[in-house]
Amino acid sequence: MDRLASFTTSDEEPEAGIIVEQVLNDRESVRSVMGISKAIEITDLHKSYGSVQALLGVNIDVYPGEIFGFLGPNGAGKTTTIRCMLDMIRPQSGSIQVLGINPQKDPKGVHARTGYLPGELNIEANLKVKNVLRYFIDLRGDHVDWDTALQLAQRLELDLEVPVKNLSKGNKQKVGLVQAMMHKPELLIMDEPTSGLDPLMQQEVYRMLRQAQAEGCTIFFSSHIISEVESLADRVAIISMGKIVEEAEPGKLIKMEVRSMRIRFKEEVDASPLAQVPGVTVQSLTDGRQVTLRVEGDLDGLIKALAEFPVVDIDLQRQSLEEAFLAYYTSGSKEGS
Amino acid sequence: MYTEIKHTLRRMRGSIIGWGIGLFLYGIMMALFFSSMESIGGLVDIFENYPQEMLAFFPSIYEIMTPQGYMDTYYFAYMTLIIGIFAVSAGGNLLVSDEERGIMDLLLAYPVSRSSFFWGRFIGFCLACAAILIISWLGWVIPSGTSALGLGAIELLRPFLPLFVILMLFGITALLFSMLLPSARAAAGLAGALLVLNFLLVGLANINQDLQAFYELTPLYFYQGGSAIEGVNWVNLSGLSAVSLLLAGLAWWLFERREIRVGGEGGWKLPKLGRVGRGG
Repeated sequence: MDRLASFTTSDEEPEAGIIVEQVLNDRESVRSVMGISKAIEITDLHKSYGSVQALLGVNIDVYPGEIFGFLGPNGAGKTTTIRCMLDMIRPQSGSIQVLGINPQKDPKGVHARTGYLPGELNIEANLKVKNVLRYFIDLRGDHVDWDTALQLAQRLELDLEVPVKNLSKGNKQKVGLVQAMMHKPELLIMDEPTSGLDPLMQQEVYRMLRQAQAEGCTIFFSSHIISEVESLADRVAIISMGKIVEEAEPGKLIKMEVRSMRIRFKEEVDASPLAQVPGVTVQSLTDGRQVTLRVEGDLDGLIKALAEFPVVDIDLQRQSLEEAFLAYYTSGSKEGS
Repeated sequence: MYTEIKHTLRRMRGSIIGWGIGLFLYGIMMALFFSSMESIGGLVDIFENYPQEMLAFFPSIYEIMTPQGYMDTYYFAYMTLIIGIFAVSAGGNLLVSDEERGIMDLLLAYPVSRSSFFWGRFIGFCLACAAILIISWLGWVIPSGTSALGLGAIELLRPFLPLFVILMLFGITALLFSMLLPSARAAAGLAGALLVLNFLLVGLANINQDLQAFYELTPLYFYQGGSAIEGVNWVNLSGLSAVSLLLAGLAWWLFERREIRVGGEGGWKLPKLGRVGRGG
């Protein structure tokens, strides 16, 4: 958590500092409207399943009006944290405040002001989409206008007449998005919001989420897509083995990313100049004509160095966000940053 | 709560229609068939030659020439077992199957209290059982004008009341088991097994008197069957209803404190009961 200060106020990152200042100003205005200082406040949260320790003292603060990315490998504790926030499960110790409410004491109060999209979305399979949405609207009470749900469905090109069992994963995800957003909640909790959507639809969802943020909604989401986190989140927290190991602004993520690059040359080459490029490690060299590199950080130096080589083909593999962080934490570069 | 009642009935409409139509047609057939009983001479003598082990399960068989004995033997004596399949299956799956399919995770994120959710589903389940029995009852009532039974709608309705209550009892038992056991299937299976054992005990207690004392502690001992045509035993009915409500209350209490599982989570491992309870 202490690392947040070094990330957001670092002298090396003036642009990021300006962005953070802007975000903080926006937060202040939303805070004054919502009347609370934190949209989500989780303190020293512990949760175990029998002998398995799922959460080991999680601390998270999310401010009103911000988009907060929540990242971590499978089994790190993301879903457990989210489910504690919604009172699906009860923690052994620690405290949670969602929109100023303790979900263990007043879950209905939290749910009324929150929209939730679970990671594994399962819906009554035999009902048509419109009947599922009507059921969800009925559950919400008088707070949802059918036209709002209809507009969201149209925006996501969702066919309402199809039974849920005939929907693709992407279309099912659209139903989840509509039901989460149709009551214009103060807080959106989303586990992989664009999972299964095509790139165009992903962009539309980003626009919808930014629009919701502009209207004062706080968004707490988990994702595996680095570009999604970079483009959406104001701040991110990384959870690993039940603990928050990092809080950072998303611009820092790219610096942690490690890529694998395979380059094929027209003729045999001496690849040693490539190894001199900062952040580049030669992993293998085959017949002098093919080299596999491990590249940390941006590609500028490497691209310039490659200009001197007879390159035939380049294959670049990006790691998942989780892999990037795992590599970051195991390589020891954390200490050096 | 009304939304959940409506939704539960919508989910169970297939069962209501399927079970209802089947039992409706069976009721019509049995009501019309009664007149032919009189033409079958020496029926009681035939029964005398049946094995006692078999006759023990149909205590009213010697009264088969009476409407009460006929309806008990050919309908109410074993309807507990037949419709009981629906009751324990629906009761066991009422809440936990949604959890197993991952649907509950989303539903409980809506501003509906767990109590409203539970009792909405519970009332929907009761109404679905009642609807099946009402359709079944119509199967006896509609041909009553032409049937030799000579019973009116109210008299025909009476034995359906204890049947409804006993079905509720076993259905709610399955619901309670679903809060304690690791799967809906296990809960329905165990409640169904108890129903079958109780049914077998009805006959076995008639054969072996040593089992009588044990039988008298079981729900089917208090079940009237066809004899309710002459008048409902309200004491037994109230007692069974009270036990049902008690079990439903216990199931609700457990649901309130339940850790909702993610879809696909869990299995056949028995839960540690000590973990049931609110955390900090």
